[in-house]
Amino acid sequence: MKRQKELGGWLLASPYLLSAIVFFLIPLGWSLSLVFFDWNLISPTRIYVGLGNFREAVTSPRVYNAFVNTYKFMAIIVPGVLLASLCLALIVQHLPWLKQFYAVGFFLPYLASGVAIGLVVRGLLSYDSPLNEFLRQIFGSSPRWLRDPTWATLVISFMIVWKFSGYYALIFLAGLQGIPRELYEAAALDGAGPFTQFRKITLPLLYPAFYTVLVLAVGLCFGIFTEPYVLTGGGPRFSTHTWQLEIYYQAFERFRAGYGATVAVLNAVATFVSVLLIRRVVESWGAKRGFR
Amino acid sequence: MRVLKAVFLGLLVLGLGAIAQVEITFWSAPNPSQEVFWRQMAEAYMATHPGVTITISPMPETPTSEAGILAAIAGGVAPTASENVFVGFGSELVKSKAIVPWNTFPEWEELVKARNISSTIKAWEFPDGNYYIIPMYVNAMLVAWRIDILRELGYERPPRTYSEVLALGERLKAKYPDKFLWLRSELEVPTWWQRWFDFFVFYYAASKGKPLITGNAITADDKAAVEVLRFFKTLRDKKLLITEPLAQGFEVGKTVMTVLGPWTFPWWKENYPELVYGKTFVLTPPPVPDWYPAEEPVYTFADAKGVVLYAQATAEQQKAMWDFIRWVLSDPEHDLAWVKVTGMLPARDDVGTNPLFTAYINEKEPALLPYAESITFAVPPIAHPQFVEIQERMGLECIYPVLTGELTPEKGWEAWKAAIKDLLK
Repeated sequence: MKRQKELGGWLLASPYLLSAIVFFLIPLGWSLSLVFFDWNLISPTRIYVGLGNFREAVTSPRVYNAFVNTYKFMAIIVPGVLLASLCLALIVQHLPWLKQFYAVGFFLPYLASGVAIGLVVRGLLSYDSPLNEFLRQIFGSSPRWLRDPTWATLVISFMIVWKFSGYYALIFLAGLQGIPRELYEAAALDGAGPFTQFRKITLPLLYPAFYTVLVLAVGLCFGIFTEPYVLTGGGPRFSTHTWQLEIYYQAFERFRAGYGATVAVLNAVATFVSVLLIRRVVESWGAKRGFR
Repeated sequence: MRVLKAVFLGLLVLGLGAIAQVEITFWSAPNPSQEVFWRQMAEAYMATHPGVTITISPMPETPTSEAGILAAIAGGVAPTASENVFVGFGSELVKSKAIVPWNTFPEWEELVKARNISSTIKAWEFPDGNYYIIPMYVNAMLVAWRIDILRELGYERPPRTYSEVLALGERLKAKYPDKFLWLRSELEVPTWWQRWFDFFVFYYAASKGKPLITGNAITADDKAAVEVLRFFKTLRDKKLLITEPLAQGFEVGKTVMTVLGPWTFPWWKENYPELVYGKTFVLTPPPVPDWYPAEEPVYTFADAKGVVLYAQATAEQQKAMWDFIRWVLSDPEHDLAWVKVTGMLPARDDVGTNPLFTAYINEKEPALLPYAESITFAVPPIAHPQFVEIQERMGLECIYPVLTGELTPEKGWEAWKAAIKDLLK
C-alpha cells in the first residue's frame, strides 16, 4: 500500500521532474561543459581553453558594465517595485467592490509582451511624441530619453517597475488578506489612527510578503533583457547593458557558445551571491524586530 | 503463376526504384515574397523532374536567422541549402566547415556564364579561392531625397557634395525650423548591422569603394573615413541630423533625406501611396566629400545575400540541389520572376542593361532603375569572421564618441582601428 502510494507520488511528480531534467539539468550540464571551450556549436573542432573564457569575462568591460548596471537597476527597481506594488495592494484591499477585477487588471502588464510594450514606449518617447512636443513648448527642450545614459536607465527601470508591480501586488494582497481584522479593531479601540495601524500592524505582518517580493525583485534585476534590447540595444555606451544582453550578444551574434555559457555561469553566481546576501541582511533585520 | 507474380513484383520494385525520390530541403529567407518565389520555382522544377522532391520553408528567425541556421546545424537538422547568407556569416560557416563550395561542381562555369555574373561573383570569392555563396540579390544602398520639399527650397536636383548638403540644410532650417535633414536614430546605437546603413554607405562613397578590411589587415582609406565622421558630426552640430527616435520622418516630410534599400517600396506603396518616384522623391548615390571628382562613379554599400549548400547533406542531395539551383539561376526569366515577386534586383552583371529587366523596371518599377545602375559600384559586407565585433566596435569606439564630441573624427577613427587590432590577428 505504502509502495503504491510512493509510486503514485512519483507518477504525479514525473511531468515536472521530466521537464526539469530536459529543460534545466541537461542544459545546465551542457552549459557547464561548454565553459572550457572556444566553440561556436557547429565547428568540428572545439578548442580547449581551460579557464581562458573566465579570464576574458572577468576583465571584459562589457561584462563589467553588465555587472555594475545590474546594481544600478536594482537601486531603482527594488524600492520602486516594492513601493508601487504595496500601494496597489493597499488600494485594491480597500476598494469597496470589484477587488478581483482590479487585481487582475493590475496583473495584466506582467502578461503583456515586452517587445510590444517596448515599441509603445519608444513611440511615447519619440522626439515628435505629444509628450515631447508639450515639454518643448513649456521648457524649450525635451530630454533625450533613450540617448542619455541617466534617462535611459530611468526609462527602462520605470518600465520594469510598471510591468511587475501588479504581479507583486498580488503577493502583498494575499498577505494583507491574511491579517486578522480583529487586530485593527483592537488597535482602533486603543486609539491608534490609520497611520499607526499601518506602521504597527500592517507592515510587520506583511514581512513574509515583503521578503518574498524583495527576493523576487532582486533576482529579476539579473534577468533584464527585452526592455534594453528593444529600446537602447544596451547603450548609450553600455549604460543599459545587462547580463542577458551580453549572453545573447556572445552566443547568438558572435556565435561564441563557450564564452556565452561562461558569462551565463558568472551571471548565475552573481545572482546567487546577491540574493543570498540580501536574504541574510533582511532576515537579520527581521529577526532583530521579531518579524517572522 | 507464382513465378510470374514474383517477377511482376520485382519489376514493380525496380521501376519504383528507378524513379526513387531524392528529397531535398531549401530554406528561404523569412520574407513571404522570397518564400513565394522559391515555392514557385520548386513546383515548376518538380513538374519536370519527377525524381526530386523539394521542400521549401522559411528559415527560423528566432532570435536571428543566423542563429536559426547555427541551431539547425548543431542539431543535425540543417536543410540541404538556404538563401539569406551574406559573406560575413558565410565566412563563419566556412571556418566551421558547415558549407561546401559550389565551384566544385563541373557545370560551375556554365552557370556563371548563363547567369551573367562574371563580374559580380568576384566579390564573393573566399580567401581559399572557392565560391561558397551564389549571390541571389544585391541591394545597392542609395539616398532618397524629398524632391517636393527640395523644390520648395529652390532645388531642382539633390546636392552631391557635403558642402552642398550642408547648404541645403541651412535653407531647410531657415524655412522649416522643425524639419531635419536626416533621421538616423541608430547612429548612436552600437548594433553591428546598423553600420551597413549609415557609415558604410558614406564611407564607400567617399573612398571609391576601398575595402575597410582585406584578409586580416585594415586597408581603409583613412582620409575618406575621417571626412565621413566629420560630416556626421557637422550635421549633428547644426541640428540637421536627428539621432533620437522619431515616429515618422522621411515619409511624412519631417526629414528630407534617407538611406534607402529597394525593399521599402512595397511598404511605401501600401502605406504611403503619395510617395511617387520622380514626383515626391528621387534617388541618388550617397553624397561625397567636396574633393571627390564629379565625373567619377560613386560607390556604395550593398546589402547582398546568397545561397549556400550545407555540408550535412548527402552527396546525392547536394547534387540534386545543385541541379535545382542551376536550373533556377540559368534562366533570365526566373530572375525576372524574382524581381516581380520580391521587388529586389537579382545579382547579375546585366540587370541594368538587359532589356528583359530594364523594360520591366522602366514600365513597372522605375525606382529600381537607379539601383540596377549602381550594382556595379556596390560593395558587399565585410567578409571577416569577426564582422560582428568589428562593426560593433565601430559604433562604440568611434561613431558615438565622435558624435558626442568626446573624440575628434581623427581620434575616433584611430580608436576604432586600435580597438579591432586584436580581432584581426
